[in-house]
Amino acid sequence: MNVVLKRKIEGMVAISLSTLAALFGLFWLVFILGDVLYNGISALNLDLFLNDPAPAGVDGGGLRNAFAGQLLITLFATLIGVPIGVLGGTFLAEYARGKGISKVIGVLSDIMVSVPSIVIGTFVYAILVRPLGHFNGWAGSIALAIIMIPVVLRTTEDMLSMVPWTLREAAFALGAPYYKVIIQVVYRGAASGILTGIILSIARVAGETAPLLFTSFNNAYFSVNMNQPVSSLTVTIFQYAMGPYDSWHTQAWAAAFVITVFVLILTIAGRLIIKWRYK
Amino acid sequence: MLSKKNPLDMLFASITAISSFAVILLIAGILFVLVHESWPAIERFGIVKFFFDTDWNPVTESFGAATNVYGTFITTTLSIIIAIPIAIGIAIFVTEISPDFLKGPIGGAIELLAAIPSIIYGMWGLFTLSPIMSGLIEPFLKTITQDIPIISALFAGPPMGIDLLTASVILSIMIIPFTASISRDSFRLTPEVVKESAYALGATKWEVIKHIVIPYAKLGVFGGVVLSLGRALGETMAVAFVLGNNHRITSSLLDAAATITVTLANEFAEADKDIYLASLFYLALVLFVLSFITLAIAKFFLLKAERKYSR
Repeated sequence: MNVVLKRKIEGMVAISLSTLAALFGLFWLVFILGDVLYNGISALNLDLFLNDPAPAGVDGGGLRNAFAGQLLITLFATLIGVPIGVLGGTFLAEYARGKGISKVIGVLSDIMVSVPSIVIGTFVYAILVRPLGHFNGWAGSIALAIIMIPVVLRTTEDMLSMVPWTLREAAFALGAPYYKVIIQVVYRGAASGILTGIILSIARVAGETAPLLFTSFNNAYFSVNMNQPVSSLTVTIFQYAMGPYDSWHTQAWAAAFVITVFVLILTIAGRLIIKWRYK
Repeated sequence: MLSKKNPLDMLFASITAISSFAVILLIAGILFVLVHESWPAIERFGIVKFFFDTDWNPVTESFGAATNVYGTFITTTLSIIIAIPIAIGIAIFVTEISPDFLKGPIGGAIELLAAIPSIIYGMWGLFTLSPIMSGLIEPFLKTITQDIPIISALFAGPPMGIDLLTASVILSIMIIPFTASISRDSFRLTPEVVKESAYALGATKWEVIKHIVIPYAKLGVFGGVVLSLGRALGETMAVAFVLGNNHRITSSLLDAAATITVTLANEFAEADKDIYLASLFYLALVLFVLSFITLAIAKFFLLKAERKYSR
């Protein structure tokens, strides 16, 4: 009888601890999100989007330059990273399907996904900033694109692999060459999955800061010239939050709010597409 | 495959092949460029000396990585120690304990933690967590450990909130979701039949978890932990706000310190001398190699786990 009781108590304790752990995890999520939403919403106003920064220490002004710069850098990163990622994933899932090279590149991509992004920043600095002699927006976009490529590549590969092989055979039987089969049949079958990969990769890079610190750097003025330093929300958050002025801190919260909401919406949208399509 | 002779097909195949080789080219390119850029520092400071030299001084142009490597090692280890039990608890809760209608939402919510950009963690750490640490948690830790000889040294010095402990806590919050979701995926792969047999023998829920689910999933969980370790090694923004960039080896967790990533984030854009920049590239190279090896080990275990389950 004693043994049974002991086992029951041990079980109760372990299960309560696990439940507490889950609550603990949720607690942080609520705490962080709540804090960002609370401080962010109170700091939001229209000026933030319409005005450029006021001189340091002066109240007012906005982050128009950072919003525009962030959009521009992310847009070009997507334009560079997505095609390479999708095409690369196509090679692994189609032409190299089941071959050793496909596995090797797959594993290397998985590693690349988690390689410290600041290292990629230093790499791009060496190839695109130092030779030109100044920080520039292109370098920032390329650094983000490098982070996107393995993410898009892996999801594309997975999604293409899920398209039934018989579908391809049906198209082959009609005499279609492989590239036509891929573009007209396989891509269509996997479209929502590939889109999800793209959305999630944008969500991933939109909040990246470290690779932009020494590539696109920052710019206190409104500039859409990609050959010059371009401001971004994330680098601005770093600079403002570490800065001494209260007005900077408030604006940093507002920028953090916008980035967080943007990233979470993209992430949830990506999840919903997968759920809706593949379950 | 069927139509290799079609020229357009050959063209498309080559374009896709080149795109996928971009990954290999990038990894090789990063390695080559980092070695090339850090060569002056490698030649001047060597490898062993660079690792064990605690002097990081731009004025005298003497650079050693020891303080940075030490900071990275302490924050990573501490954050993993905090994160593992919580992450595994979460995974157990989500797979075995929670009622079915809560499994999806709770799992999804915890994965959202992983989607929050690291700069948000960093900023939140600076404005919200750091005051809580310096005002509440660190004084508390100091009081309860003050009479224990060795442990009290870990909490020596004034509680400022900008220190190794705060950075490790933030880092642990960041890696909990990675470890939890991989552990959950591994737990899920335990065959229902095996679990049911154990229940039929009269095992309690916890005994099934302890003797069936965890042993079954241990390869995957281990892979997940190593993967989180790799992530923690290279995390920059979450720690850059709350570590203070102080190039010293300290025995107290309440002291400011520097990690490889924090040093890079704070000093890279300002490096004014060639040897200074080369030393920073050297640090980046060390970080790249360390995290690459860690991630490769993680991948090895995850693949091994996958193969085991698919049998």
